[in-house]
Amino acid sequence: MNFDKDTNRMEDALKNALRRREAPEGFADRVLTRVAERSSATPVVLRHQSWLRLFAQPLVRGAAATAVCAALVVGGIHYRNVQREHAEGKAAKQQLILALRIAGSKLQLAKSKINEINVNHVPADQTGNQEEKE
Amino acid sequence: MKRIVTWLVLLLASSAAARAQDIKIPLDVEKLSAKAKETVEVTMDGPMLRWASKFLSADDPEDQEAAKLVANLKGIYVRHFEFDEEGAYTAAEVEALRSQIRGPGWSRVVGVRSQDEENVDVFFKLENDKMAGIVIIAAEPKELTFVNIVGPIDLDQLADLGGQFGVPKLNPKSLPKPQTKAQPGEHK
Repeated sequence: MNFDKDTNRMEDALKNALRRREAPEGFADRVLTRVAERSSATPVVLRHQSWLRLFAQPLVRGAAATAVCAALVVGGIHYRNVQREHAEGKAAKQQLILALRIAGSKLQLAKSKINEINVNHVPADQTGNQEEKE
Repeated sequence: MKRIVTWLVLLLASSAAARAQDIKIPLDVEKLSAKAKETVEVTMDGPMLRWASKFLSADDPEDQEAAKLVANLKGIYVRHFEFDEEGAYTAAEVEALRSQIRGPGWSRVVGVRSQDEENVDVFFKLENDKMAGIVIIAAEPKELTFVNIVGPIDLDQLADLGGQFGVPKLNPKSLPKPQTKAQPGEHK
């Protein structure tokens, strides 16, 4: 009899312990807020970690360093080429201007010589005409 | 087939280039640079002219003038020698230069022989009644200048460029001296 009584009491205790209880007010909101907070913070860290984890490998590190060096060298060569081309272009332009100046000045020389000859010949002709008239 | 076309294009291009500078500067004249105090040597064919023109500034009036002048040119070839003393070059060397300009289409439009030994020859090349080139040979006591401009050029504009910018800006030593007024009675 006592055994039955004990059994019933245990059952009652169990039932009482496992009885459905309503969650405290605001519990669901708090849980959702925390979940949201964690989900927004964790992935960034994870993403960072995943990128950085790539460079943990020596081969990748070496390849990245080589790529950076190659980019710097190519960029430097290109920059120097552009600068050299610009300098050569400026020199060519100066040569062109110089050539035109020399050509122009010699043409001027020819013109001035012709003018001098004209100036010297015209009065002589005019004098000749005057003499004829007289 | 492609190869043949490429070769033909190259052949035509090279012959066009050869025609552009059909006047060759004699070796004896080229050798004058060894004796000269100052030498200016400008050799610019069509592509080089186009390239150099790209560097002419739109803000600089001198550059603008130059750009207009060279717009349709196919080449500019200049040899200018300045010597310390008179008689550094011979009449034969000048004649060798002149003899280059005997081809068809060429005609001498100016030939000045003066007592002060400042002799200038200007030759024009006409093609279909249009100016196709000009050669200037100026033989002065201490200077010898040969200019060959291939293509149509405005002579007044060119002369203006020589007169307007007579004051050297680039290299004062390598530019010709300002012209002095010759005294009457010096001309032959």
